[in-house]
Amino acid sequence: MNIKPKILVVDDKPENLVAIARVLKDLDIELIKATSGNEALKATLHHNFALALLDIQMPDMDGYELAGILREEEKTHDLPFIFISAVYTDNLNVFKGYEKGAFSFLTKPIQASILINRVKFFIEKHQQEIEIYNKNQELQAINEELESFSYSISHDLRAPLRALSAYSKMLEEDFLPVLNDEGKRLLSNIQYNAKKMGNLVDDLLAFSKLGRQDLKKSKVDVQQMVEHILHDLEQSFPHHARIKINAMTPALADHSLLYQVWFNLISNAIKYSSKKDKPEVEIGYFSDNDGGITYYVKDNGAGFKMKYKNKLFGVFQRLHSPKEFEGTGIGLAIVQKIINKHGGKVWCEAEEEKGAIFYFNL
Amino acid sequence: MIEDSESDAEIVLRALKKANITNTVKQLMDGEEALDYFFGNQEGLGQNILLYPKLIFIDLKMPKVNGLEVIKKLKTNEETRLIPVVVLTSSKEHKDIIEAYKLGVNSYVVKSADYERFSKLVVDTASYWLLINHPPEYE
Repeated sequence: MNIKPKILVVDDKPENLVAIARVLKDLDIELIKATSGNEALKATLHHNFALALLDIQMPDMDGYELAGILREEEKTHDLPFIFISAVYTDNLNVFKGYEKGAFSFLTKPIQASILINRVKFFIEKHQQEIEIYNKNQELQAINEELESFSYSISHDLRAPLRALSAYSKMLEEDFLPVLNDEGKRLLSNIQYNAKKMGNLVDDLLAFSKLGRQDLKKSKVDVQQMVEHILHDLEQSFPHHARIKINAMTPALADHSLLYQVWFNLISNAIKYSSKKDKPEVEIGYFSDNDGGITYYVKDNGAGFKMKYKNKLFGVFQRLHSPKEFEGTGIGLAIVQKIINKHGGKVWCEAEEEKGAIFYFNL
Repeated sequence: MIEDSESDAEIVLRALKKANITNTVKQLMDGEEALDYFFGNQEGLGQNILLYPKLIFIDLKMPKVNGLEVIKKLKTNEETRLIPVVVLTSSKEHKDIIEAYKLGVNSYVVKSADYERFSKLVVDTASYWLLINHPPEYE
């Protein structure tokens, strides 16, 4: 973008405006002049300013009042100011909203070099902000593209997959009697893998949908949520783990997404401890020194080597074979994505054959 | 049946046959063929309402003319708008569902990736529209 940054200069005396324009003439900027607060407000309707230079002593509306109004307006609430005052004052109280944004003071008579430096500083800052904004827009667009790509991929993969599973089933229905044992084994391997791929595609679809979902935060009763999940899990896959729930504290989170986090972490803990003689799972939280809440799920199961901990949260990354423990490797990727969306963090500690603890905050 | 995937068409036909639903099935491979069949004059049924089907299964994502365009034609034409139209698609996208309903489809069924479940969906849907539902009669 090669648009010159625009600067608003407000002073009730035209000769002062001319003087400031002369000082700033070598800068690559566009000056918009106003001789009153009202004129300045009008100018903000037509222009996007990088900086405003405001005279303080003006009739009708003084510089502080003008700045206060500009801070209230959505379009200008980030606009930095340089106040130009005949007398030095540190009485900031008169400027409502001073705490909301950047500003600076200069006293008359203005020294040219100081004014130029200040203006340059704010212009640079403004340009950096624009750059960051543009980069963010770009990233967001790329992200959206990526998400819709993975969505359509997983969609289009379903059709041939359905054909694969259908034809192998038809083969079984029509020709099973003439197949020998080896033929049957090969056929069942085809079916097993088609089913597995179906699960992968479903998981990928769920994962990509997650990226497009908006957060709806509310106060969540974590205790109730965890109990609910344990009840659900007992119905869907019976286990013999001893589960200890410590008293839980509520969280501010998206209800259904947080449910998924807890569900994945708890079902993992149950799954990976299921081969122990006495599987144990503990669920709880603790407060950090600064009042932050960290939740955890601990098990005494298979664990893993800590050197692999970075692989744990990748999509379809697994540290155990499907023979040892079933799964596609999407669960923790989903957990991490949800927690990142909340602005939180998830991490873990583990030891092979001793167990694992997963921690997260929101 | 307006369906561009031969394998999906085969699954549908097989499922109907196995369930002893013996109605004749006319298979059209894409939206263009469907428009020709219903509204063209050269071949197919043209304007002969006696040959209108009792039920239309239609896929959404098809080459040349997609399912939604065909549905729009079928549902705005005075003659064909009475034919029950069932969307049979793998799309669960909200916008597809809304659009199809806005155009006046009679049912929206999502194809299952699982063969057995898919077959059952087809049979259940066909049985409902052919055996349970009472359609208006052309005069």
